[in-house]
Amino acid sequence: MSRGLQTVIGLEIHVQLDTRSKIFCGCSTDYIGAVPNSNVCPVCLGLPGSLPSPNEKVIRYAVAMALALGCSISETTIFHRKNYFYPDLPKAYQISQYDRPLAVNGSIEIETGDGPRTIGITRLHLEEDAGKLVHAASDGRLAGADHSMVDYNRAGVPLAEIVSEPDMKTPAEAREYVVRIRQIARYLGISDGDMESGSLRVDANISLTGPDGSLGSKVEIKNMNSLRALEHALEFEIRRQREVLSNGGTVEQETRHWDDASCVALSSRSKEEAHDYRYFPEPDIPELHISRHMIEDIGSSLPELPFNRKKRFQSDFGVTEDDANVLTERREIAEWFEGLVNAGSDPKRASNWIRGDLLRYLRESGVDLRDAPFSVAAIAELLGMVDSGTLSNTAARDVFTAMAETGLSVEKAMAGAGISAGGVSGKDLAALVDRILADNSDVLEEIRSGGDAKGKKLKFLQGLVMRETRGQADPAEAAGILRERAGVR
Amino acid sequence: MKFHEMTARETAEGIKKGVFSASEAVKASLDRMKRMEPALNAVVTSLEENALERAMETDSKRARGDDLGPLGGVPVIVKDNMCTRNIRTTCGSRMLAQWKPPYSATVVELLEASGAILVGKSNMDEFAMGSSTEHSAFGPTSNPWDTDRVPGGSSGGSAAAVAAGYVPLALGSDTGGSIRQPAAFCGVHGLKPTYGLVSRRGLVAFASSLDQIGPLARSVDDLALAMDVIAAPDSRDSTCFRDPRPLYSGAFPDVAGKRVGLVREFGGDGIDAEIDGAVSEAAASLEKRGAEVVEISLPNAGVAGLPCYYILAPAEASSNLARYDGVRYGLKKDAPDLISQFLATRKAGFGPEVKRRILTGTFVLSSGYYDAYYLLAQNVRRVLRMEFEKAFEKADVLLMPAAPSPAFRKGELVDDPIRMYMTDLFTLPVNLAELPGMAMNTGYAKNGLPLGVQLVAPRFGEKVLFGFASALEEASGRPSVAGGGELS
Repeated sequence: MSRGLQTVIGLEIHVQLDTRSKIFCGCSTDYIGAVPNSNVCPVCLGLPGSLPSPNEKVIRYAVAMALALGCSISETTIFHRKNYFYPDLPKAYQISQYDRPLAVNGSIEIETGDGPRTIGITRLHLEEDAGKLVHAASDGRLAGADHSMVDYNRAGVPLAEIVSEPDMKTPAEAREYVVRIRQIARYLGISDGDMESGSLRVDANISLTGPDGSLGSKVEIKNMNSLRALEHALEFEIRRQREVLSNGGTVEQETRHWDDASCVALSSRSKEEAHDYRYFPEPDIPELHISRHMIEDIGSSLPELPFNRKKRFQSDFGVTEDDANVLTERREIAEWFEGLVNAGSDPKRASNWIRGDLLRYLRESGVDLRDAPFSVAAIAELLGMVDSGTLSNTAARDVFTAMAETGLSVEKAMAGAGISAGGVSGKDLAALVDRILADNSDVLEEIRSGGDAKGKKLKFLQGLVMRETRGQADPAEAAGILRERAGVR
Repeated sequence: MKFHEMTARETAEGIKKGVFSASEAVKASLDRMKRMEPALNAVVTSLEENALERAMETDSKRARGDDLGPLGGVPVIVKDNMCTRNIRTTCGSRMLAQWKPPYSATVVELLEASGAILVGKSNMDEFAMGSSTEHSAFGPTSNPWDTDRVPGGSSGGSAAAVAAGYVPLALGSDTGGSIRQPAAFCGVHGLKPTYGLVSRRGLVAFASSLDQIGPLARSVDDLALAMDVIAAPDSRDSTCFRDPRPLYSGAFPDVAGKRVGLVREFGGDGIDAEIDGAVSEAAASLEKRGAEVVEISLPNAGVAGLPCYYILAPAEASSNLARYDGVRYGLKKDAPDLISQFLATRKAGFGPEVKRRILTGTFVLSSGYYDAYYLLAQNVRRVLRMEFEKAFEKADVLLMPAAPSPAFRKGELVDDPIRMYMTDLFTLPVNLAELPGMAMNTGYAKNGLPLGVQLVAPRFGEKVLFGFASALEEASGRPSVAGGGELS
């Protein structure tokens, strides 16, 4: 029974739009770490008599995202009310969109094990976020809590909901799709796309189709707070549905919540209260007209999108696909790479430096590249010195560390680190080589007796020399002296 | 002249010229209110202390020679569904009996900026749902012409307060006739402006696509003066028009050569004979002033208006009133779990008429019924709008009754919701079509009750409306003040 089953996955992604103010009022969207209920007003608290005023920036961000996803933008779009009672929903309805969304019919290309594939985007619509419940039990869970508190700072934060077609066949594809959507959102600068903090949230619909094409019941999975959780939850659910079907059972249509700690997706057991959201057009907001002019204006200012940029890096600069993927992962990285190449750096060296030194630095320091204390020009100069042999890789790394810490120019950073290009040479270098050979006479013996066919031992000695000189020796000169002393050519 | 007989303009001018002080005017208003409230119950919250303080400020402003504003020192009342900062705003409901908003409605801000002094918040049918002001958690309001009768509703408190001379000017809100029907019952004038002309920000919503704030007064000129103050663009209400408004007060356009349409379906059978007579008389007197009387047909408005309204308004209300769950503000009934808390709070907080409409509205929006009710009603609404548009090709204004009968007795219809709803038969279609409509007093029945007629103009036709209304007012005289001396 379970043989020939095909997995069908569709995703709904909520992307928090990174505007300064909320979707329908002027309150700050900066809710993380804010004092509970400090960024609120009558509008986002839904006080009697309050009315929503749509934020134009939100519309522009959503149009940009929709265009990047190849969607058609609706010339007129309307908001609907989605009615349900919950304490985190101040008006007991969410202002969302229903049958006339902002944008429809887009697609993106993702890489899969079987090559690139197109995933359809059904729609993109706008809605407001809800507040957050804080349960007053020690473990933070609802069970056992004797009371709950609500923080409305998040209420009214703008969300774009992106609904995919059920075009994904594996958890890995679903993951890849989310990575691409997140990447585009980041490129456009409309969201930080952080899943852990909830600025990008993914709900999955998953079903198994029989070999005869019969469609199985759809199960919705929520509460996956990382890419890893997404993959695990989908894998879990596929296994579960296969098991149910192979035991002759039927899969119930339901919603399940992923529990990261126990690695299971639990049924929400809310079938009997099937939601009727009683959608109807929001009478407080007139039809929105999105002018052709506005669409063209936003379209013409879109940055080059990651997929196109990746292809261009491969064809124009000859970088490998793997390198191109890393270099285009984030827009600012891609721009840095391109800046270095334009400033004369060798593409391969620039790519290696970014993948090594730069990414490590950004990861360890937590600095945003846009705030980094060094410039593209300075790094290009530094890499140029490595290219010309003036500076070894090791020395360049020390200089870069100094530049990153102090924001100095290459020259000053070198001086500060006590490094001068080619600063140890000639007799000084020869003396140093001799001292190192004396300390490693066993290695020297092995080389002399022909035990270093691959040259690894010589390289090891050369490494010691470079370390000792803190990279101030010309690597070629050091190698020459070493070879001469060891009697190899 | 006594304060309670003055218009808003006369009061403002008297203060400006120093004939009397703002403090005297406000004191007189509060005194009359105090004397008549036991009989009328038109006011939920009296703002004596604030008002006297504001009046003294106005007087010292005048002493300094400062501009007092167009309504400087004029005592006014607003319906208790308009938010007033730090002053309770009850909506006539137990749900909000103690709720003090942290902000004021745009209209309240505009009134205050114009120098008007708020002396009270008026009684109303709970959440503006009703036609008699009997559905209030604060008890019914009485009609100042006959305290056994209702003042109409839902702005019954505002209408009664103006009729009884507490104040020359009050604000009401009108979703299906809630300004015009009580104005007619209480013998004052009341205007429901074009939808979107006056900001709804701070008006506690009943049915968002129909609600509109408007003035009640004892002179057409005062209505125009009030519109000059409250009709303004407001970026905080997305449904409020952004264009600047014309000046409404001043010289009104002449009616000579203009056409007044009598609606064939809104006369004759089913309408009180004296009201029918008042409409004919009004037509005759407009004709005498050079207007042409033409017959107009609105075949659907009378038949389909009521069912259409009683689908759309409850639908929106069911959603607008869902926020009263006891979590953030207002009444809260404790219960062991969340759902029980919602149920207990809403059961205790809402009265029967509000519950009836929430249930109706929830039903018509439910999956499986949406198309048959809500969607159909939306289509009917479009048809009615077009029907009015066609009518206005033949007439500049329409003349019709404001209500099918004069004020009815308390208790008479309170247990018969359908007949109660029928009293808004002639006003509901005007809201559905988003048109301006004015109820005006043109005389009195044999038993002394006020008789009202209604004028309706195309969208943004308020100036035309004022022209016709002032012609009628010239003919019949300004409304009298009710109950002077008789009520104790």
